[in-house]
Amino acid sequence: MNDNHQNLVETMFPSDGSGIKPYEWMISPTRQRQWIDEKGIFLWLAFFFSEIGAGLYFMSLFYSFRPGIVIGWLITLVLGGIIHVLYLGNPKRAWRMLMKPNTSELSRGMWIIGVFAVLGFLQIITPGGFNMVFNFIMGILCLLIISHGFATMNVVRALPAWSSTVVLPLSIISGIWVGHQLLQLLFAMSGNATVVSGMEVWAATFFLIYILCIGLYAWGTWHMSDVAKISVKKMLEGDLKRATYEGVGVLAVLLPLIFTLIMWGGSTNGFLVFLRLASVLAGDLAIRYLIMKTAVYNPLI
Amino acid sequence: MPRWGMVIDVKRCIACWGCTIACKEEHFLPPGVFFNRVLIGETGKFPTSSKLIYPVLCNHCEDAACVEACPTGATYVREDGIVAVDDTKCVGCRACMVACPYQQRTYYDEKTKNREFFPGQGKTEMETIGEKLYPFKLGTVIKCNFCSERVDEGMKKGLTPGKDEDATPACVNICPVGARVFGDLDDPNSEINRLIMEKKGKQLRKEFGTEPAVYYID
Repeated sequence: MNDNHQNLVETMFPSDGSGIKPYEWMISPTRQRQWIDEKGIFLWLAFFFSEIGAGLYFMSLFYSFRPGIVIGWLITLVLGGIIHVLYLGNPKRAWRMLMKPNTSELSRGMWIIGVFAVLGFLQIITPGGFNMVFNFIMGILCLLIISHGFATMNVVRALPAWSSTVVLPLSIISGIWVGHQLLQLLFAMSGNATVVSGMEVWAATFFLIYILCIGLYAWGTWHMSDVAKISVKKMLEGDLKRATYEGVGVLAVLLPLIFTLIMWGGSTNGFLVFLRLASVLAGDLAIRYLIMKTAVYNPLI
Repeated sequence: MPRWGMVIDVKRCIACWGCTIACKEEHFLPPGVFFNRVLIGETGKFPTSSKLIYPVLCNHCEDAACVEACPTGATYVREDGIVAVDDTKCVGCRACMVACPYQQRTYYDEKTKNREFFPGQGKTEMETIGEKLYPFKLGTVIKCNFCSERVDEGMKKGLTPGKDEDATPACVNICPVGARVFGDLDDPNSEINRLIMEKKGKQLRKEFGTEPAVYYID
């Protein structure tokens, strides 16, 4: 059997047994592949970077912290944007994605990112950019960008695990939480210990809501339908259980909880803030990966 | 203007896969790409279990989820109800593939294009000719088009889709038991409407509200 043949067989009958057999396709609940497998992995990263960049920008507005909005703007547009383009099959035609904002969530997202790019740039270069009107508009745009990835997934009615009502609140709070952590580290690096300490009360609040949303998502999806329940089961069993227990359980929840308890009351430490950020970033990536990877379609018959 | 639709009699279907093969021939589809499939499942438990045979294809939905999801307008519903893809507009974002509850779309990339029917032995003459006669654009999404080329050409010649073979989808023509009927859903006197009314035609996964143009009767 030559390599080409072997590849084809491997595609159709994965040797690890994780894949679906051709005769089970859409007869058993069938996993979504396009937006996570192979090149689809870019979309996972693109949504993540857009979210954390916009999250950092959003939190920086409350502290009128110019380096924060510059870095947030760059992460959203450069990292998020480039990775989005890498995913597309025909990147030269990407401008066409602006054509249907009336129905397509992707198209709406492109418009929002376009407006964010222009207004964000103006806010960065304008000396009095942190005024109430600018902050309000940019705040709304940031929230829309933070939720853009999950909103695009949320409208897919065919995938129950994505159409859960908790998906949007989860994405918004995760963007704010990660953005807050990035900002806290930036302040720590700039030696502003008072602000870092003052931010801790918000860190604890956002973290609490974040954990609550993760729990609500899992609980809500489990009880939504039989097919949605399979998505949660896929997270807890099989190949993905390590990502769930280590990625979500340890990195997204347990370690940040320990660091938050150590820094409780504002006794912050730059190194601990860094460790918590690293853990939160990895945990957020794991949550996004699992939600995208475990979504399954209803069988047709 | 007609609105094309199809009725599939699942009681008549013998799961010969003739429709699948005829479709692959018609569109010169590479290995692993199907616009027509036959799903075979079971329901109930022995001794009362029964076998389910459902030929599936793009449902050419009236309120298609793929059309809503497409950010460029590349996927659109033609006036005659056929859901088509304009490959000059498709960016390959695959939002349509994710949105389709019936999973009837395929992303055509380099890997798909390079697949050979006889792996490692090079492409056959048939495959090479197919790439020239029926070219797909790389990095775009492809799907069943109800053989719109045949329908359009046939109508230009004054033929009636569903009655005249030259104007009827290949999967309908090939079916040895006449399980598939193609016709105008907007014509109250058409054969397809009669079957839907008399045999209470059902659409697959109606709950998604996409109004499929493919009905199943038994």
